[in-house]
Amino acid sequence: MRPHRRKRLGIILFIATGLSVAIGLTLYALSQNIDLFYTPTQVAQGEVAAGQRIRIGGMVREGSVVSADDSLAVEFVATDYVHDVPIFHEGILPDLFREGQGIVVEGSLDTAGVFQASRVLAKHDENYMSPEVKAALDAAGASSESHQMQPGT
Amino acid sequence: MDWTWFHKWGSPKWFYELSGKWLPWLVGSMVLCLTVGIVWALLFVPQDYQQGLTNRIFYVHVPVASISLAFFPLMAIAGTVFLVWRMKLADVVVKVAAPLGAWFTALALASGSIWGVDTWGTWWIWDGRLTSLLLQFFLLLGVVSLRTALEDSEGAARACALLSIVGCINVVVIKYSVDWWNTLHQPSTDFSIAADQANGPEIWVPLVFMILAVYLFFAISLILSTRNEILQREKRSQWVMELVKRS
Repeated sequence: MRPHRRKRLGIILFIATGLSVAIGLTLYALSQNIDLFYTPTQVAQGEVAAGQRIRIGGMVREGSVVSADDSLAVEFVATDYVHDVPIFHEGILPDLFREGQGIVVEGSLDTAGVFQASRVLAKHDENYMSPEVKAALDAAGASSESHQMQPGT
Repeated sequence: MDWTWFHKWGSPKWFYELSGKWLPWLVGSMVLCLTVGIVWALLFVPQDYQQGLTNRIFYVHVPVASISLAFFPLMAIAGTVFLVWRMKLADVVVKVAAPLGAWFTALALASGSIWGVDTWGTWWIWDGRLTSLLLQFFLLLGVVSLRTALEDSEGAARACALLSIVGCINVVVIKYSVDWWNTLHQPSTDFSIAADQANGPEIWVPLVFMILAVYLFFAISLILSTRNEILQREKRSQWVMELVKRS
């Protein structure tokens, strides 16, 4: 490689490295603000003021969903299995909404500590499989769980 | 070290003739992969336990989105070669890749939106993954318009090469956005060899065909537009005139 080319390559590498470091540090500093949602634990720790418009992400706690008979109102509990946040929503839920499902809700906490959601979005994970495989995995999981529980009971 | 293999790429004529021989093979393999992949993915892949038939857009979205991340690294390599060695062919690649990349990024955003409206319940959300991919779309439009905005073609070529190198940083952000931050978008899937696990071969084998098909389509589009640009830039040269006379 000729010297003037080596020099040009050096300048390019220098610019690219410098910019990567600068942008990396900026993103690291901003990382809290780029998060899409708060977790129920962050809410419980008082990071969110009542009335502030935020998003909360968590799982729909099993057995917590109560729907009204005469309207679209629904109440449920969002949890990260450490802390819970009660959610109230009136409107259409996504098809994937179900107990145990990951969700993201948009709205604000009222003074009673209930999250008034104006929008409910369903999260899905990165695992894809047929119902047969899912059933087999659940069966295997359930049997190993009951196996684990036997010594205690 | 012998650099002749590298300096051959400096000749547009050499590339034009060589790529003409590659094209039929590339088109043939793409048609084969696409036929196998799309029939398999759309008709024979088992329905997802959670998302049902909607999940099949996965076989379009994943290949398109993954190739859209290849454009900035490709343009950065070509741009570096152009800046350091002043190779004309490298600048041609930077120029033709930018609009192609914008199309592929737009397709990734659109297919993702269609998937999102049915599963998440929204077309769009400003989470880390979606926002950084939208930024890539605008960056690519930026490279396209930078070229036309600058009158001095040599200066435009250098500016585009530099912007391509800088734009690579965003690719890293897109890739790791789902791991670094809370997003609505799911993280990347870990595929499994075992048939009785999630993400087993019945899920990923058709995906491999679709990825090959889309990558080949990308290679074909890139070669075709590179050849087109070579002919336009070299239109006054002897070999192009002879080529036109012959046809």
